[in-house]
Amino acid sequence: MSVETGIRFQNIVKAFGPKRVLNGVSFDVHKGEVFFIIGASGVGKSVLIKHLVGLLYPDEGEIWLDGEEISKFDEVRMGPVRKKCAMVFQHSTLFDSMTCAENVALPLRKHKGLTLKESVAEAKRRLHVVHMQEFGDRYPPELGDGMRKRVAIARALTLEPEYVLFDEPTTSLDPVSARRVDKLIRELSDTLGVTSIVVSHDLSSIFTIADRIVMLYKGHVRLLGTRDDFKHTPDGVVNQFINGRAQGPMDL
Amino acid sequence: MPEDAIPRHTQVFAAAGTAFLRVATTAGGMGILLFRILARFFPPRIDGGEIWKNLYKMGVKSLPIVAITALFTGAIMVVQAATIVKRYSAEGLLGWGAGFGTLREIAPLLTALMISGRVGANNTAELGTMVVTEQLDALRVLAIDPIGFLIVPRFVSIVATLFMMTLFADALALFGAAHTGKALLNVDPVTFYNGFTAGLLDFGDVANGLTKSVVFGVVIGLASCHFGLATTGGAPGVGRAVNAQVVASAAGIFVLDYVTSFILG
Repeated sequence: MSVETGIRFQNIVKAFGPKRVLNGVSFDVHKGEVFFIIGASGVGKSVLIKHLVGLLYPDEGEIWLDGEEISKFDEVRMGPVRKKCAMVFQHSTLFDSMTCAENVALPLRKHKGLTLKESVAEAKRRLHVVHMQEFGDRYPPELGDGMRKRVAIARALTLEPEYVLFDEPTTSLDPVSARRVDKLIRELSDTLGVTSIVVSHDLSSIFTIADRIVMLYKGHVRLLGTRDDFKHTPDGVVNQFINGRAQGPMDL
Repeated sequence: MPEDAIPRHTQVFAAAGTAFLRVATTAGGMGILLFRILARFFPPRIDGGEIWKNLYKMGVKSLPIVAITALFTGAIMVVQAATIVKRYSAEGLLGWGAGFGTLREIAPLLTALMISGRVGANNTAELGTMVVTEQLDALRVLAIDPIGFLIVPRFVSIVATLFMMTLFADALALFGAAHTGKALLNVDPVTFYNGFTAGLLDFGDVANGLTKSVVFGVVIGLASCHFGLATTGGAPGVGRAVNAQVVASAAGIFVLDYVTSFILG
């Protein structure tokens, strides 16, 4: 079966001051797959995906999205990339001054030419998909983490993106909500062909829904492969991480 | 050479240089922000709905505090003039005396300081919180320009609010002054109003104050948006940004008050 490359990271180097967080990271993400980026905290997983939407720019290396090198795009040229490539932030980052429905309505109003009324009506319909319809008129600070995250996912999906970046989507969620989010990510890929890149520590998510996984360690790719590759690797560092053991060869 | 042997005057220069660089960075940052704001007008890429929302939040909600300040400011002008007016029986000049200072100086200045405290500080805190909680990044990721969506509406609303509030304060301060004149000096309000319609005051005096209000609005708008956007370091960072905004706006208002007064004559 031939696979189509959607995203290609090529030798990405990114340093913050003297600390080189990413030191030559390269891998491909195929179209339509659920791709997980795993690794210890502070290893640069979030940093890496922020490069895709122009929130960070690499010091060296190239980023290819659908055959286009985007790592040097300015804000204006990033616009179409961002419409194609949505992101759900770790802390949801809903706009506190707007209701949940207005949050979801905002991209509809700005990019789909809907009026405020139309966009709010459409937003409420979309909140239904994430089971948040009765919270449309509430403000984000009034809601719990899990609820905010679901609204954030609804907002990210408004523009029908081809790629969705999830930054720790199940962290701080209860187990049931977490599995619901997993299910949603899997469905996006299976039914709509959306490519998901998920940054996560959540072992049960990783081994339930991932098509392929990359593990970052000390600024490099430690292992890239399927769930089975990860389960059967002889690499002690990967083993320690995916089994969540305190003792082992891993340097934190 | 041990560190404490570094000549003291060198340290003074280093401190002065650091302070100068900080001021230059702020001024430069505000200049760039002004350029970016103006760029959004050609062609217009501004969120109209946000302008109305901010005008309500900044303008309408500021009315009570501006009304109280203006009424008492007018009253104070008359209280201060009372001794002289009584001594020289210059009741006819009371309107001119109170009106001249109020329209050209006191109403725009005090309104600007009130708006800086109420609206500017609020604006910096809100933008700063949005920056430290990544809400601004979220906006960019949704392919929405934060300058056109957040900053320009706030800037326009602050300038418009200050202009309208100054007009409002002018009227209320004179109203307050007229009635204080009646209570304190038994000067009939009609005599008071004649004092500034008799040719000693004209539209130029009102325009002078209103021009200042626009200049002050630009200062508050730029400072509050700049410090909000430049916030780093979580909750303490937001505190520092608000603090810097209040100080910078007040200093900017006084310096530019002097400059504008000088230029307008």
